[in-house]
Amino acid sequence: MAAVLGISAYYHDAAAALVVGGRVVAAMQEERFSRLKNDPALPRQAAAACLALAGISPGDLDAVVYYENPYAKLERVMTSMARDFPRTFGQFPRAIGSQLGSKLWVLDQLAEAIGVERRKVLFTEHHESHAASAFLTSPYPEAAVLTVDGVGEQATTALWEGRGAALRQLGAIDFPHSLGLLYAAFTAYLGFEVNEGEYKVMGLAAHGAPRFRAEMDRVVRLESDGSFRLEPRFFAHTTERDVGFSPALEALLGPRRPPGRPFDLDANPDDRRAADVAASLQQVTEEALLGLARAARARTKMPALCLAGGVALNAVANARIAREAGFERVFVPPAAGDAGGALGAALIGARDLGDPRPPALATAALGEPFDGGAAADLARALGLTPTAPPDPAAAVAQRIAAGQVVAVCRGRFEWGPRSLGQRSLLADPGRAESRERLNRVVKQREPFRPFAPAVAAAAAAATFAGTPNDMTPFMTTVARVAPARAAALPAVIHVDGTARVQTVTADGAPDLSTILEAVGRETGDPIVLNTSLNGAGEPIVAGPVDALAFFLQHPVDAMLIGDALLERGAP
Amino acid sequence: MTLLGRLGARARTVGGLLRHFAHRRRFFLVPFLVVLLLAAILLLASGGLAYVAPFIYTLF
Repeated sequence: MAAVLGISAYYHDAAAALVVGGRVVAAMQEERFSRLKNDPALPRQAAAACLALAGISPGDLDAVVYYENPYAKLERVMTSMARDFPRTFGQFPRAIGSQLGSKLWVLDQLAEAIGVERRKVLFTEHHESHAASAFLTSPYPEAAVLTVDGVGEQATTALWEGRGAALRQLGAIDFPHSLGLLYAAFTAYLGFEVNEGEYKVMGLAAHGAPRFRAEMDRVVRLESDGSFRLEPRFFAHTTERDVGFSPALEALLGPRRPPGRPFDLDANPDDRRAADVAASLQQVTEEALLGLARAARARTKMPALCLAGGVALNAVANARIAREAGFERVFVPPAAGDAGGALGAALIGARDLGDPRPPALATAALGEPFDGGAAADLARALGLTPTAPPDPAAAVAQRIAAGQVVAVCRGRFEWGPRSLGQRSLLADPGRAESRERLNRVVKQREPFRPFAPAVAAAAAAATFAGTPNDMTPFMTTVARVAPARAAALPAVIHVDGTARVQTVTADGAPDLSTILEAVGRETGDPIVLNTSLNGAGEPIVAGPVDALAFFLQHPVDAMLIGDALLERGAP
Repeated sequence: MTLLGRLGARARTVGGLLRHFAHRRRFFLVPFLVVLLLAAILLLASGGLAYVAPFIYTLF
């Protein structure tokens, strides 16, 4: 029985994950502790929290596994810099300095930071970590596995065959041909922050029409064998420090959208154009992913597909793959991006030390537990008056039914970018004003951004087509809302008639399940609007200090902290 | 970790890097890498020395 710590770091969204005896014990992102969104630094606090939760010390670890090969990464940076010289001259000091200054020595730094012998610090390959994070946590004994992201060591896309605990690579597409870098370049072109604004582009796409599709076909070529190629002249991955696209892209599509300008999709033609560009990008991305998935199906003949990598966070594309690629079942883990690589690395390390494959992931609640007692003490110290309702779930449900916005902090925080009921803001999905209030006042984000519903799994099929399925517990896909139900759920339906639904069971999210039962008793409909408990640009709340800071800074009506309830305006 | 332990860890990493380049037959990168590593050592060693900074600055 081995104890293996997996680590991802030094690109974005660093994380640690602990597997003991083949069982996933904990998995956490460093941002939840450092309070820096997508913090890429070595996840010292997350690693320490994983060990503390398991009650083991660094000396008890059999291995620490880093999620990618630092030597191969340096090789790729050096060869791409040399290949594109002298255009890379401006980027050279930063890129090489970053590699030689810290990234090359990451295995040594991990040994020192965690306090283990250097010989116990191993590494795996970037896309193998992604593949393991999806397949080894999936419910499938065998599956095709697609990993699609910006870039790992050299590969940007890989196809795997998973059987039992084994993964065998069948093919790959290498840098610079990358759907992740394509989406990132357009994220920058549309004025959003790369590695953070991609999901805003996805939300914006639903408001546009794909009228730039012909232009997109010049930017990315979809091949008949399911592969794809980017046209290099539109990109500047190795020569442009911040945006990743070249002036040729602006010549093709018009000038980039200035970062930070407020959106006005109704009145501003430039914003309409931005939405149309986003729609065109989303369409070509979906078709590229469909091509890859169909090729995976044809090659492996497997009935199930697992997806991972940052591009697998595109919930709209995942839904199309599930409908159109020919697989019977599709699974995308809750942390499909680089953070998830930490869990994949730990699972590979545990498997290689002889431990069995873990059972299918039933919950994303793999973080630190919320200390309700400490939160109540802190609230009192701050002059607030927490109350102790006899039935906390019923108290939350009554307030949601009355139109209030309620924050919930209970249980272990979530693994991955989505709040799934442990650190959530909940509201009535039947009130359109819930969305406006949350977007404009509480979360202060773009008005086109959609909110998601959480529904009791047993009641999901009546409202959301094709649910529940293997992705809906982790909110990694979307579902079409039954037309007869659309008028009842205006706050959680996207403009295209879909919703990024979470189906909730007592095993997966016990606290949210209890709240949904109580909401069902109040309203007859066990559905709530569920969005992440964070302010603009902040990581999701982790512990009592973050929770109280959120409550004091944001105009929510109430907050459940453990079993205690805080209410706005209470004496 | 002791100084000796740190040096051992760094040596393990340099060994791993050279093995990787040899395995991949990327021998042409080795001289490039040696120069960069020497520059990196120079940068680290002279981090607090203001009178070396102008010369290092001109390297990049």
